[in-house]
Amino acid sequence: MLDYLKEYFDFRGLMLCLGLVVVGLLSVYSATFDVGAAAPFKKQLIWAGVGLVALFAMAFIPIRTLQRLSLPLYIFNLGLLLIVLVIGERISGSKSWFGFGGASGQPSLGGQPSEFMKVTVVLALAAFLARTSISLSNPKHFLLAVAIVLVPMALVLAQPDLGTSIVFFAMLLPVLYWAGSSNFVLVAILAPIIAAAGALFGTLTFLITLIVSGALLYVTRQNRFAAAVAFAVTLAVGLSVQAVYERLPAYQQKRISTFLDPGSDQKGAGYNVYQSKVAIGSGGFFGKGYLQGTQTQLNFIPEQWTDFIFCVPGEEFGFVGASVVIALFAGLLLHGIRVAGLSKNKFASAAAIGITGIFVTHVLVNIGMSMGLLPVIGIPLPFLSYGGSALIANMSMVGLLMNFYANRKEH
Amino acid sequence: MIHDDVFGSPGRRQALTIAVLVIVAVLMLRLYQLQLLFHVELDKKSEENSVRALIKDPVRGYMYDRYGRLMVDVGPSYSITLVPAEFEKRNTPFLSSILQVDSSYLEDRISKARQYSPFLPTRIKRDVDMKTLAAIEENLPLLRGISYQIESKRMYPTAARAPHLFGYRREISDAQLSDAGEYYRPGDLIGVSGLEARYELPLRGHKGFEYVSVNSKGQIIGSFEDGKRDITAKEGENLLLCIDGGLQAFAESLMTTYSGAIVAMDPTDGGILAFVSKPDYDPAIMSGVTPAAEWAGLQTNPQKPLFNRASLTKYPPGSTFKMVLAAAALEEGIIDERYRIQCTGGFRFGNRVFKDLHVHGSVNVVEAIQKSCNVFFYQLMLKVGFEKWTEYGRRFGFGQPTNTDTGEETAGLLPSVEYYDSRYGKGKWTQGFLVSLAIGQGEVGVSPLQMVRYTAALANGGIVYRPHAVGFVQRSEDSTPVMVPRDSTIVGLSPQTLQLIRDGMQRVVHAPGGTGSLAKIPGVVSAGKTGTAENPHGQDHAWYVGFAPYENPKIAVVVMLENSGFGGAKAAPLAGLVMEKFLFGELKRYQPKAVQKSVAGGAPNAPR
Repeated sequence: MLDYLKEYFDFRGLMLCLGLVVVGLLSVYSATFDVGAAAPFKKQLIWAGVGLVALFAMAFIPIRTLQRLSLPLYIFNLGLLLIVLVIGERISGSKSWFGFGGASGQPSLGGQPSEFMKVTVVLALAAFLARTSISLSNPKHFLLAVAIVLVPMALVLAQPDLGTSIVFFAMLLPVLYWAGSSNFVLVAILAPIIAAAGALFGTLTFLITLIVSGALLYVTRQNRFAAAVAFAVTLAVGLSVQAVYERLPAYQQKRISTFLDPGSDQKGAGYNVYQSKVAIGSGGFFGKGYLQGTQTQLNFIPEQWTDFIFCVPGEEFGFVGASVVIALFAGLLLHGIRVAGLSKNKFASAAAIGITGIFVTHVLVNIGMSMGLLPVIGIPLPFLSYGGSALIANMSMVGLLMNFYANRKEH
Repeated sequence: MIHDDVFGSPGRRQALTIAVLVIVAVLMLRLYQLQLLFHVELDKKSEENSVRALIKDPVRGYMYDRYGRLMVDVGPSYSITLVPAEFEKRNTPFLSSILQVDSSYLEDRISKARQYSPFLPTRIKRDVDMKTLAAIEENLPLLRGISYQIESKRMYPTAARAPHLFGYRREISDAQLSDAGEYYRPGDLIGVSGLEARYELPLRGHKGFEYVSVNSKGQIIGSFEDGKRDITAKEGENLLLCIDGGLQAFAESLMTTYSGAIVAMDPTDGGILAFVSKPDYDPAIMSGVTPAAEWAGLQTNPQKPLFNRASLTKYPPGSTFKMVLAAAALEEGIIDERYRIQCTGGFRFGNRVFKDLHVHGSVNVVEAIQKSCNVFFYQLMLKVGFEKWTEYGRRFGFGQPTNTDTGEETAGLLPSVEYYDSRYGKGKWTQGFLVSLAIGQGEVGVSPLQMVRYTAALANGGIVYRPHAVGFVQRSEDSTPVMVPRDSTIVGLSPQTLQLIRDGMQRVVHAPGGTGSLAKIPGVVSAGKTGTAENPHGQDHAWYVGFAPYENPKIAVVVMLENSGFGGAKAAPLAGLVMEKFLFGELKRYQPKAVQKSVAGGAPNAPR
C-alpha cells in the first residue's frame, strides 16, 4: 500500500507546496493582523482550502482529458481577459479584476483571469507541442507556438500588467528549449532583450551586452544570414530603447530609473525597495521573532502582504527562515524539472517545464525585487503573497505536477 | 550539442537544473549579504525607521533678584503645529484665515517644515492667543495634521522691565543653527541679547526625548518600549541675580522722562544692583511672537529703545573723569594736597582760552574735585602728562571691555599717544588735545557701566571688579547655588591718594560750594562727582557718579542723562534717590509725586 502510494502519489510536491502555503499563511497573518482584524488572513485561509481542493482535482484529472480540454479552456480564458479589459474593475491602476457584485470597487468575490490564464496557456502550449505533427524547426509551427503565448501576453500587457506579461514570456523560453527548439532561435529571441536591458544602464553596458549577444549568435548560428538578421534586430532594439523608455508610463520609468540608481529616491519610488531591504537586513540570522518585526508590524512596507511578502519571513525569521523559504522553492523547482524529465508523456513533460518556468520567474523576480536585485515589478510570490486567484492557480499547478508525476510512465 | 535538440533531452534537463541552481544561489548570496553582512547597518536603519524621538522642551531657568523675588518667570504659550504629510493643501486658505497670516507665509512655513520632516509636527505659529487656539480646537477634525503644543514663554511679574538686562530670545537663525551645534533645531528659540544670551547654556536646560513607535505614514501608534528609553527634559538652571528688583523698578521710574542710563553696583563685589537704559520697551513683547509691525516700530523709533545705553555707549564722561587724573598725579607723587593753583576762571593754552564756570581762587586737589575746577585739572594734565593719564585710565578699566555678564558692551575709547599718532599722525597733534581730556572732554568715550565700576573702585579702595548681574547659578539637580566667578584687578592706589580723592568727592555732596549737594541722602554721608559733558550733537549730557555710605560703601551709582544739562542739577538728585532707596529699602524723604506714582510695587518684600 505504502509502496503503491510512493509510486503513484507525489508526496514531495505536496509537502513542498503545503510547506510554502503554511509559511504564506503565517506571513499574511503577521503582515495584516493589526490592520483589518485579520480579515485578509481568514480570506487567505479559505482560499488555501479552495486551492487544496483545486490541487487534488488537478492531481486526479486524467491527463488525456486535460490535454483535450486545454484548447477550449485557453480560448475561454482569452475571452475572459478581453472582457476584463473592457469592463474590469481597476485595482492599483490596472484592469485585471473580475468583480462579482462588488459595486463599490471593492471586489468581494472575484478573480484575476490572468492568474488562471497562466495555467491554461501552459496547457495549451504543451498540448500544441505534444502533437506528433509539430516540429519546432518548422518556422510556421514555431511561430504558432510563440503566438499561443504572445496573444494572452499582449492582452495582459494591455491591462496594463507588465509583471504578469513578463511571466508569460519567461515561461515560453524554457518550454521551447525543452521541446527542442534550436539554441540559435532562443538566443535570437533573448539577444534583443539583453541588449535592451544593457542599453538602459548606459552605453558601455550596451556595448558589452551587444558583444556578448553577437558572440552567442555566432556560436549558435545555423546560417550566417539568419545570424546577421538576428544581430541587426538586436542592435535596432538596443538603439531604440531610449525612445521606448520615453513612451513608458511615468510610474514604470520611475521604477526603472530607481532600480538603476536605488539611492536616488529613498522616500519616493525607491521607498518600497529601501524599506524592504531594511526589513530583510534587520532580520539578521535568527530574525526578530514571529510578529516582532518592527518593519512588518509598523507597516513600513507598502503592499507587504502582496508583492513584498518575502520581507515578513526575512525580518521575523531571519536568514534561517528566509533560507527555508528559498529552499522550499528550490525543491519545488527542481522537482518540476525532475517530473518533466521522468514523464514519458510529451504534453505532461512540456507542461511541467512550463509550470516550473512560471514558478521560477515569480520567485526570481519577486524575491530579487524584495532584496533590491531587480527592478520593482509587481508580481506576487507564489503561495506566500496574499491573493486568492494566484494561490488557487499556483496550487492547481502543483496539483498538475503531482498528476504528471503519478502518471509519469503513461505515454 | 547537435543531437540534443530533441524533446526533453537529458542535456537540456541538466542545463535547466543548473539554471535553477544558479538562480537559487544568486538569491541565497544576496540574502547572506543583506542579513549577515549588512545586518548591523540595516538593523540600525530599521530602528530609526520605526522609532521617532519627540522633543520635549525643557522649562527655561527662572531669574530671581537678590532678595529671592521672581523677576523672570515662565508661562504657557501655545504654538500651532503642522505635520506636512498629513496636512491637506486645500485647507491652506482656511488655516491662514484662522491664524491670521498670509497664505504665502503659511506655504513657506509648510515647505520648510517638509524639508525638516514631512512626518513630524513643526511649529507654524508661535504663541497664539486664546481666541485663535479656540478656533483651531473647534476645527481640529477638519484640519488634518494640525495640532498645538504647549511651550514656555517669558513672563515678567514685577514692575521692573529691564529689557536690556534680561535680553530676549528669537527663533534661531540658519547661521546660528550651523554654529551652535547639534542641540538646536529649526524653530527653536535662542537667547540673542542680555542675560538670555549670555546665560543661554545654563538657562536652556536640556531637551528631553519621548520615543514613540510610528507606522510608515509617520502616525504615532504608541510609546516605544513603554517609555523606558525616554529621556526626561532637564529643566534650565535658575539665575540668582545681584539685581535689587525694587531698586531696578524705582530707577526705571525715575528715568521715565529721560534718555540715558542708571547703573548701580555693589562696590564690595561688582554685583550689579540696577541696570537701567532708557527709553526702553516692555520685554514681554519679545517673549512670544513679536508682531512684525511692533518689531519694526522698535527698530525705527528715533528714540532707539532697543539701544542699550548702559553698556553700548561711548559718552564723554565730563568732570566725572577728573578723579583719574587726580589719582595719577597723587599716586605718581607729582602733587600732594599742598599743591595749589589760582583759578582765575580761565586757562590760556597757546592762543586758545579754556574757560571755567567760576572763578575758584586758590584750590588744591580736594577742593578742585569738590568745586569741579577745570583750570586746576587743565594745568595738572600738563604736569602729569598724557601717558600717565592714559595709564591710570586703563587701570580704572577704561578703553577696554568690562567683561560684564549683562551682554553687549563697548570698550569705549581711552585716547593714548599711540591712538593720536595713528589717528592724526606723529607730531600732527598738540598738547592742546590733552587739555580737553583733563576734564573728560574730547575723544574720551565711556559707558555708564565702565563708569560705575570706576566709581565702585574709588569707593572700595581701588578694586576694579568685573561687573556681574548674576551672583549665582542655581544647579537644577540639587538647587545648589554656584557662584559666578568674581574677577577683579587692582588700580594700585595708596591710602593717602584714595583718602584725598574720596574727601573731595564727599565734599562734592556735603561741603558748601560742592557741585553735587542735590545728591544728599538724609542721614547718610555719601560721596560723588558731577559731570556736564559737552556734546557736539546737542545739549550737554548730565552725569553723576557716587557712592554711599561714605564709610563702608554699599552702593555705587552712575546716572547719565542725555542732553539734560548740568549734572549737579539733573543727575545728582536721581543718584541720591537711588542710593537712598537701596540703603533703606524705601524713600525716607518726601517723595516727588511723579516718582510716588510710578514706583508702585517697587519696595522689596521679605526674601523668599
